[in-house]
Amino acid sequence: MKPSSTATGTIIGLTLVFLIGPFIVIILAALTAGNNLAFPPDGLSLKWFIKVFTVESFRISFFISMFLAVFGTLTALIVGVPAAYAIARYDIPGAGAIQLAVSSPLIVPGIIVGLALLRYLVIPTGFTIMAALFLAHAALILPYAVRVVTSSLQNLRVDVEEAALILGCSRLGSFFRVVFPNIRGGILAAFILGFVTSFNQVPVSLFLSGPGVRTLPIDMLAYMETTYDPSVAALACLLAIMSVGIVFLAERFLGFSRYV
Amino acid sequence: MSDFVSVDKLTLAYGDTVAVPELSFGIGKGELIALLGPSGCGKTTTMRAIAGLMTPKSGTIRIDGRDVTRLAPSLREVGLVFQSYALFPHLTVFENVAFGLKMRKAPNIRERVMAGLESVGLRDFANRLTPDLSGGQQQRVSLARSLVVEPKVLLLDEPLSNLDARLRLEMQMVLKDIQKKTGVTMIFVTHDQSEALALADRIVLMKDGRIVQSGLAEEMYSAPRSRFAADFFGFENILPGRDGGLLAWRPTAIRLGDGPHEGTIRGMSFGGDYRTYVIDSALGEIKGSVRAGLPAFGEGEKVRFDLPEGEAVRLEAA
Repeated sequence: MKPSSTATGTIIGLTLVFLIGPFIVIILAALTAGNNLAFPPDGLSLKWFIKVFTVESFRISFFISMFLAVFGTLTALIVGVPAAYAIARYDIPGAGAIQLAVSSPLIVPGIIVGLALLRYLVIPTGFTIMAALFLAHAALILPYAVRVVTSSLQNLRVDVEEAALILGCSRLGSFFRVVFPNIRGGILAAFILGFVTSFNQVPVSLFLSGPGVRTLPIDMLAYMETTYDPSVAALACLLAIMSVGIVFLAERFLGFSRYV
Repeated sequence: MSDFVSVDKLTLAYGDTVAVPELSFGIGKGELIALLGPSGCGKTTTMRAIAGLMTPKSGTIRIDGRDVTRLAPSLREVGLVFQSYALFPHLTVFENVAFGLKMRKAPNIRERVMAGLESVGLRDFANRLTPDLSGGQQQRVSLARSLVVEPKVLLLDEPLSNLDARLRLEMQMVLKDIQKKTGVTMIFVTHDQSEALALADRIVLMKDGRIVQSGLAEEMYSAPRSRFAADFFGFENILPGRDGGLLAWRPTAIRLGDGPHEGTIRGMSFGGDYRTYVIDSALGEIKGSVRAGLPAFGEGEKVRFDLPEGEAVRLEAA
């Protein structure tokens, strides 16, 4: 091995250790037969994986997180796809400002977004926590939706739409018959990205929690404060497996990485 | 007016920039005409306005007696073959050609699509996806897609310019054949005078959104009226005559080796049948061609030449 490739090998190796290492630690910790969150594990068993499903608050917060991820992402797409279309196709005044505004949830720290929503939306107006969470998640996903869909629109020539108009389509018809089928992959990619982002969201959701309304990651934090047992590690494993599974399937069937 | 397509005082603008001011021309039924001109002359803009992809500021466009100026593209009964072909990438060749028929809920779609593909020689490609085809094949799919809906006017944007010499000739014959068989009125846009001459019955030469000259292809080639038209059709020597008017000669009309003028050979380009010399002289730069079989002149060599007035075309305007 040449020195340069030794260095490259070392860097790649360390990167993998730091990326995958924690994951392995958590898996092993979750497989422990003991009663404490510890590494290395104290014997092997699946009892903590089974325990996860018996915790009532996990079940509730899982459905809340699922609901936010699915419907928050759908809402972001319903707003984001037309916005992306307008930005990509029309010479609208202030397109740069719109793009910046749409991207701001990426730039502004989530802690501040969460605090601001709590202080200025939920407290003074009596907006429910659930509604505020939904709004916040949709807004957080919007930048991904706009960005991913815009880039797949830019790969579709404008004259293809014009050809559809001449062949008998209305404007709306040409969108559904010609544009949509060609950006479907981009929309699905945006959906997956949005779903994962929402599901793993912590800082914003931290402020937006109340009695019986918590997203899963926040519920896991709260659980750990009172009960320091390995069921959190087991749950983390299950979530990681779910995320990896989604991305793997998306890559397999869509070539997901083309769009992100 | 009995023109099949008539454009009357058409003004087209991008924002405040007028691209075409008050353009008027007419086209007879079944004619094949070329809108010819350098880029930015307004030819493509005019074609897009006829297709309905651009709304005119003022003026009218009529097709077969009907005012279509404000009509949606889908209701104009025109076809457009885009320069980039603009095929639907998610559909097969068959589905591309069937698209317009499906939108019209036409009967016998399968037979009509197959007949359309047959006419452009792509019957065996029906189930292929369009990105897998060559440029020439894509263009023929685009042509078939426009033709199966039997448009009144077929518009073509630079139909030959993306093709190599052999495919060019083939496409030229396909288009002439379509004109003969279907009698469809065709308008095509090009910046290349040789394309216009090869294909069009009639040429409309444009500059800065205005018509410089229009007429039969042969007439345009042999009798340009202005300096711009003469220059565009290859009259590379334009000089003032004795009466103050302008005279124009093609390089082949210049006689080299003898005559009242003298100059120095500055350069030569070999064009197969001819050698064309660039000569510096008291009259300015002169371009003269000599048959390739005759003895060549060397660079820097003095040469006498003649500008025979009988071979010149007299221009009306500067």
